[in-house]
Amino acid sequence: MIRSGMATLGVAALFLAACGGTGGGTPQKKTELTLYNDKGAWTKYFDEMGALSKQKIGLGMKPTGYTDSAQYQAFIKASFRTNVKPDLFTWQTGGMLEEVVKQKQVADTTAIWQEAIKAGDLSQDLAPYYTIDGKQYCVPMNVAYWGMFYNKKLFDQHGLKPPRTWDELVKAAATLKKAGVTPFYHTSVLFSFVWFEQLMAGSDPDLYDRLSTGKAKYTDPGVVQVMEKWKELIDAGYFVNPGDKTDPGDVMKNGKAAMISFGTWFNTSMTQRNMKAGSDYGFFVIPNVNPALPKTSVIFESGPLCSLTKAADPDASTKYLKWWTTAEAQEKWATSRGDVSANPKVEIKDEALGQITKDAGSGKYRLVNRYFEATPPPVLTAALDGFGKFVTEPGTYKDVLATIQKEADEYWSTHQ
Amino acid sequence: MRRSAPILGRFRYGYVAPAALLVAGLLYAPFVWTAYLSLTRYDGLAPPEWAGLANFGKLFDDPALLTSLRNTLLWVVGTMVLPVGLGLLVAVLSHDIKGGAWYRVPFMLPYALSGAGLALVWSPILSHGGIANALLGVDTAFLQDAPVNTLAMLLVWTWQQLGVNTLLFVVGLQSIPKEPIEAARLDGASGWRLFRHITWPLMRPLTAVVVGLALVASLKTFDIVWVMTQGGPGRNSETLAVTMYKETFVASDYGYGSAVAVMLTVVTGLASYLYLKRQVAS
Repeated sequence: MIRSGMATLGVAALFLAACGGTGGGTPQKKTELTLYNDKGAWTKYFDEMGALSKQKIGLGMKPTGYTDSAQYQAFIKASFRTNVKPDLFTWQTGGMLEEVVKQKQVADTTAIWQEAIKAGDLSQDLAPYYTIDGKQYCVPMNVAYWGMFYNKKLFDQHGLKPPRTWDELVKAAATLKKAGVTPFYHTSVLFSFVWFEQLMAGSDPDLYDRLSTGKAKYTDPGVVQVMEKWKELIDAGYFVNPGDKTDPGDVMKNGKAAMISFGTWFNTSMTQRNMKAGSDYGFFVIPNVNPALPKTSVIFESGPLCSLTKAADPDASTKYLKWWTTAEAQEKWATSRGDVSANPKVEIKDEALGQITKDAGSGKYRLVNRYFEATPPPVLTAALDGFGKFVTEPGTYKDVLATIQKEADEYWSTHQ
Repeated sequence: MRRSAPILGRFRYGYVAPAALLVAGLLYAPFVWTAYLSLTRYDGLAPPEWAGLANFGKLFDDPALLTSLRNTLLWVVGTMVLPVGLGLLVAVLSHDIKGGAWYRVPFMLPYALSGAGLALVWSPILSHGGIANALLGVDTAFLQDAPVNTLAMLLVWTWQQLGVNTLLFVVGLQSIPKEPIEAARLDGASGWRLFRHITWPLMRPLTAVVVGLALVASLKTFDIVWVMTQGGPGRNSETLAVTMYKETFVASDYGYGSAVAVMLTVVTGLASYLYLKRQVAS
């Protein structure tokens, strides 16, 4: 009996030891860091950065890219409680960053920010997106301004120029539609919020900001009007079918839609398809719906690159984040993807993208935080589903707004 | 025998321990943890806060859950009619003819695909502007409007599952004794009457297994829906398993997601129990 008990205990001990991992908190010295990200399609570019960092600072980096962001976020959250921790990981600003910082999981990067701002590698304007209770966390993995990518050949073919007013944009859409070309792209999954955020920011950016902080309701008249404006455009037949699963990059390349509203990172899709800026496609800032607004609203996003407070080698992670902000790293990161950079010293090769970066830096636009980051996760989930429903059944807009508001009421009742 | 019995007795817990620990650690413990989470408010980060039955109260007040229930029911009924029903038809039609095995091969091949792989292959075919639109010369967005999208996914599911159900039914048909069939034939029974009164009752034990497995599989339908529509648009193609995943990992509402998981477990357990009880009784 005693022996059998001992055998049971022995097996149990082995099992528990196998499950427990090392469990040690001793910092290791790392020469290669793992970078977990939800940008699986960018693995090639992360690999190039890993090779460059090894050469420049003697610290390599290996990316592990996820393509499903829900799965990715679940992994990162779970890693906070296990020994499988990423050295570096991408995340989102706004409510998502606040959540993980409040749980004391993310390493403080205030010193990196101060040094980078002093050296001119980061702009002070960017700091608020990364500041929680007076301290900075993470560094910008990327920044992006949102505008309209357009198929240059289709525009030329129909004698169109990038519009400077909302009326000109709608007129261009009408011209294209008449010629049998679908003017705009939209979708019922994930990026279903794009036109809502654009129309809101271009109609009443203050209301958009209040909506993000629970100070306005989705059922307010201003929001209802925006949905009606969106419905008008859908009813006019200006959009592709939202159920079309064609990759937006291919939609742009094959002219399935003449215009696609996305962040400047969409340029990476163009680069991957060997499309040339200026001859194959172009980019313009979307004019405000409300011409009386003092500044054109431009949607802005910045994705953070973070390290954990309990990283395996905190010094190595900090060293990497510091290097990431430098012009040397950013030059490579931006140019390889054909995108803009968080570092103002980096010269943007693409003319249109360089211009918007310069104009945004000089205060020409009112920068509006992207809906994805500006909206708390539970409200965002309800909204993405709601807009997905709306684009397939535009007549349901009032029900959709009421459903989102119900989720917002529940969220803000405990988070004000 | 005399020597081995005491040795077995002495170490019996040791032999069972690895399997018992694995089942307890990987099955029962997560189940208990999920049941506990369903009674809390939990975002996956901050410690769970006790919420009592609030998450279960929300279940009855959530229109999306009603849609999920409706779609899950559609999956259950559809699975019984299509992959199971057609599987039986193909088996009956092919098992008694020369070269029947070769007729069944095309139905078997899709079974080699995983659920996610299957969905990836069919997604561009059924999406708007896809191959199905071009071939049929229609402008229907098969994955967009409810319940067409669920029915379209059911057809894809049938394409994959038909073969394995056919195979199981063929095994059943081949294992039934020949004598009652021959006796019935001598008595003049044939065709539908022979099948309805002789073959079908003799196949009952195997049918119970096939239907039972299909019932559980259809109640937990996830991968095909998640990859093809992500439960959308506007949650109109969600099943209970998709709602559970979405609430937990997309909306980070682990408490409510766990409540859906508990409900799904109860529904699956109850349906399986009632079905098997009926089968045993009859």
